[in-house]
Amino acid sequence: MNPNLVYRVSGSIAVILLLAIPLASSEMGGLGPLVLSSYFMHLAITGFFYAILASSWSLLAGYAGQFSFGHMAFMAIGGYATGLIGKFIRFTTAPSELCTDIPLPGSWWLVILNIRRVGTIDESCLDMAKTQTLPAGTLIVFPPVWASIAMGLVFGAIFGLLVGWLVLRLRSTYLALFTIGFSEILRAAISAEIPVTEGQSGLELVPLFPAGLLGFSSTSKIPPYYAMLLLFILAMALMSWLASSRFGLFIRAIREDEEAAAALGVNIVRFKVLVFVITSTIAAAAGALQAHYIGIITPNTLIILQMSLVIAMAVIGGLENIYAASVGAIVITFVLELLRTSVSIGPIEIDMTLWRLVFFGILLMLTLRFQRNGLLFPILERISRGGVAKETVSIRTETDEEFADLEDPDTDGPDAESSREQPERTADTENAET
Amino acid sequence: MLKLSANGIYKNFGGLQVLNNVTFTVEGPELIGLIGPNGAGKTTLTNILDGALKPSSGTVYMNGERIDTRPPYGVARAGLGRTFQVTRAFRRMTVLENLLIPAMAMNTTARQRDFEEKAQEVLEFLTISHLRNEYARALSGGQQKLLELGRLLMLDPSMIILDEPFAGVHPRLMEVIYRYITETNAQGKAFIIISHDMDTIFTLSRRLLVLNYGDLIADGEPEVVREDPLVKAAYLGEEEE
Amino acid sequence: MENAAIFGWALLWILFWGALGGVVTPRIYARKDLEISQASFGGAVIGAALGPLSLFPLWVATPKITNRLIGIGIALVVGLFVAAFALADPDNLCVVNGSFVVSQLTNGIVIGIIYGLMALGLTLIFSILGVVSFAHGEFYMIGGMVTYFITARWLPGVSPFIAILGSCIVTFAIGYVFERLFLRPMGSGKIERPTEYAILVTFGLAFFLQYFTQALTSAVPVKAQRFFPFPRTEIPADSGALLSMTPGNITILDAISVPNPRFTAAVLALIMLAALLWFLFRTWVGKALRAVSQDRQAAAVTGINPDTMNTLAFSLGAMLAGLSGASLVQVFSWLPQVGIPAAARSFVIVVLGGMGSLPGAFLGGLIVGLVEAAGTGCIPDATRAASYMPAYGMVILTLVLLLKPTGLFGREL
Repeated sequence: MNPNLVYRVSGSIAVILLLAIPLASSEMGGLGPLVLSSYFMHLAITGFFYAILASSWSLLAGYAGQFSFGHMAFMAIGGYATGLIGKFIRFTTAPSELCTDIPLPGSWWLVILNIRRVGTIDESCLDMAKTQTLPAGTLIVFPPVWASIAMGLVFGAIFGLLVGWLVLRLRSTYLALFTIGFSEILRAAISAEIPVTEGQSGLELVPLFPAGLLGFSSTSKIPPYYAMLLLFILAMALMSWLASSRFGLFIRAIREDEEAAAALGVNIVRFKVLVFVITSTIAAAAGALQAHYIGIITPNTLIILQMSLVIAMAVIGGLENIYAASVGAIVITFVLELLRTSVSIGPIEIDMTLWRLVFFGILLMLTLRFQRNGLLFPILERISRGGVAKETVSIRTETDEEFADLEDPDTDGPDAESSREQPERTADTENAET
Repeated sequence: MLKLSANGIYKNFGGLQVLNNVTFTVEGPELIGLIGPNGAGKTTLTNILDGALKPSSGTVYMNGERIDTRPPYGVARAGLGRTFQVTRAFRRMTVLENLLIPAMAMNTTARQRDFEEKAQEVLEFLTISHLRNEYARALSGGQQKLLELGRLLMLDPSMIILDEPFAGVHPRLMEVIYRYITETNAQGKAFIIISHDMDTIFTLSRRLLVLNYGDLIADGEPEVVREDPLVKAAYLGEEEE
Repeated sequence: MENAAIFGWALLWILFWGALGGVVTPRIYARKDLEISQASFGGAVIGAALGPLSLFPLWVATPKITNRLIGIGIALVVGLFVAAFALADPDNLCVVNGSFVVSQLTNGIVIGIIYGLMALGLTLIFSILGVVSFAHGEFYMIGGMVTYFITARWLPGVSPFIAILGSCIVTFAIGYVFERLFLRPMGSGKIERPTEYAILVTFGLAFFLQYFTQALTSAVPVKAQRFFPFPRTEIPADSGALLSMTPGNITILDAISVPNPRFTAAVLALIMLAALLWFLFRTWVGKALRAVSQDRQAAAVTGINPDTMNTLAFSLGAMLAGLSGASLVQVFSWLPQVGIPAAARSFVIVVLGGMGSLPGAFLGGLIVGLVEAAGTGCIPDATRAASYMPAYGMVILTLVLLLKPTGLFGREL
């Protein structure tokens, strides 16, 4: 069967199913016996959020070989950028005089609010302006959510460009250390600059959708579900297009051997920077959307353990395939939640809220050790490459037999390791060689 | 008409002088052997021509364009391809993908399927067409070497530098590589071949460059170079005795 | 800060000339066909030190950039920085109170010795296995936890030495098992791209160990008793002007005051350091370890089994982290999460000192200890300073990675 067809058909089915899920939610009355609680819907949204992060990280680490540990930092940049815009920017129909006013065309003003000191109760400049300088009837408008989310993406891209350019010379361990450093600096800055970011208590954001939109209540999970699903589908569509185009070809070549790729005409600098920009923009988009959905963002979203969670999802699903990584993330989000309930074995009660993470850590290590391609990727690989061994044999018999002895992997070649380093060589490939 | 000229190339690493005023010119589809004892600076010279290293001083021009200031990918696009001493296939990509990379890199607007036919021809020429969808890591060492040569055909440069193409390969494979070099050369591509295999290099090449401790001590036809007293003293003397 | 502007301008001055020196110097050296491996870093340091006064002579004379030259440059930069700080904030405790400064510095050195010990473990692992263990902080945390549980819960009243020994055994054993199960296969070529694998799998170990400890102990902060309280002493007997000790504190010359737990920890760390040096330089196994770190293949030819050395190095490195945790559990409150900042600090130290350099790790530890002490003691806005604390190290880490990835004492890559 044509592997592309398999991907396309299964992808379409998945998309249709995901689009249909809200029909079964409790808000819509459920579908027959199937009633999905709003908690389930929340989990699905969280699952999409992690799926976007895990699959974009897999593009960065699995395809391009850039093992960055700063992915959650880009996510937080997206969230904080949109949050800060919502906190500090207003549009008015008259200058406030007390804040920083920037005139816009059409007799509107962009007003940047002042930064209030911590522990004081002085009003914001706009509050004062309302009673003092602004004429009655002045409109004060919040920046639209979609626009501030878009700015979050822009900031994600700018920081991605910066970091991608800085780490050009750094490889593996050094890259990992640098990106951890970047992430930690950002976290410390967010925690410390309380007047701007509210520090540990968290920055509050306006909801994704105004209450009453299309008749949905403000606590309804259905609009945010579709918003996050849309972002997920868009991100996956973009990334799978990239992965199958020249971009994917080149970044994988860079992962395998930078110098050889350069010697064959690949502009490695451009593509290494580009992959950082693209993946950080996607992470920032996910962060911005999630921040508005949850309503608050704190510096704890970018602690190292959160990063480990995303890494673990990508690795367990399959690091070198964006689909495997995203499915892995969704499955793991649900499994981790399901395992939350405590179990009692006789008199001992086991608090699963912690133990589930212990087992998760073990699973991560075992996956890395024994199933490096993840638990889902081999299945996809079987579908898409099932015919390869057969094809190898059939074409082989057509070509001349004269060079048959060349195929014996042990007879020649300076690279003696190459014959040993083939753990993933499947049994059917072996058949082809004998 | 291809013209490559290296003018007064010096290279030092720290205090170590690796190349010392190396100057030579390649005109047209020549078939040149580059020889010299270990540590003579052959690979360093290759890396400078390729753009992977910058010379401490000196210039390299190719068809009138200065290429020593360009990054390696720029040199590749200017028409100079190379292989590495150790085989460097993209191991976790299929044979076909390996071949598509240089073709796609050279043509920024093309699509992958535009080159599949050409890739097929290259694979058939190299006798590994049955492996087109296998991962490169599943290939034997010799097959990976052929794959590297195939990538150069897809890059379609006007000049090819091969670093030790015959080192440790099966005799039968040697024939394929030999045929590759002569046929590709006949199609108008210049070659510089680095090799320790004296017999092959003397029969194959029509011009020899000899490096010794960073100095270019001889440049000429193989028969003349063989008799050069400097070369004998530095290099061949040991071999023939 | 009274004259924050002075400090700001001084910083700007240092940064500007440093950047200029870092960018321009290698070009000038390259044009003169001189060695440029040190030119970027050296130029930056020398530029930052005296600005144009030192840069122009450097560019004209282009002397060989020696470590001594760089050392003088660094000393000048630090001097300039301190002077600017003193001018900017003349009433600061760090400027007016000499004994406070000396106490802070002593405490910095004392804590720096322990940081150094922990970083030594990390650098030992890197020099032999070529991987950075991202689980280093968790070994530190476990070392402290085991010591606490032995002294406070399981065997109260037992000698702290037994507890420390216990934590050594536990961390060594975990390191041993992990290396055998997860890192050993790297060497046999079964795993492609071993460095990335090692990063991820040690990350997994960190995740596992942290939650495992949390699940076993619950997340209540604990703290061990002082191991060895000082006897009450005063020298001379009446005033204690030279030396005075209370169970919790030691004061020397009425000026330098060091709390007992820190003092004990530093002494323990020095003893362990001496033992480690003896092991590495005087025993056959230690020499074999160093041989492997210098040249794996050559060492293998002489009959050393590199795989065994890998296991030994990883377990030893884990044990060193455990030891520093064991000595510090009486100084700081202990939680399953304490390993994270400690590991981050070790990364900073190891990168600063040069990956794989043993003296570099120790000196890096001292530097970081001193900088931290100065940071907490001298920076005016204390709450903000505390929040930024983890970031200072990371700024150093990222800058060193960008400017001089080999660190101060590292070998060339």
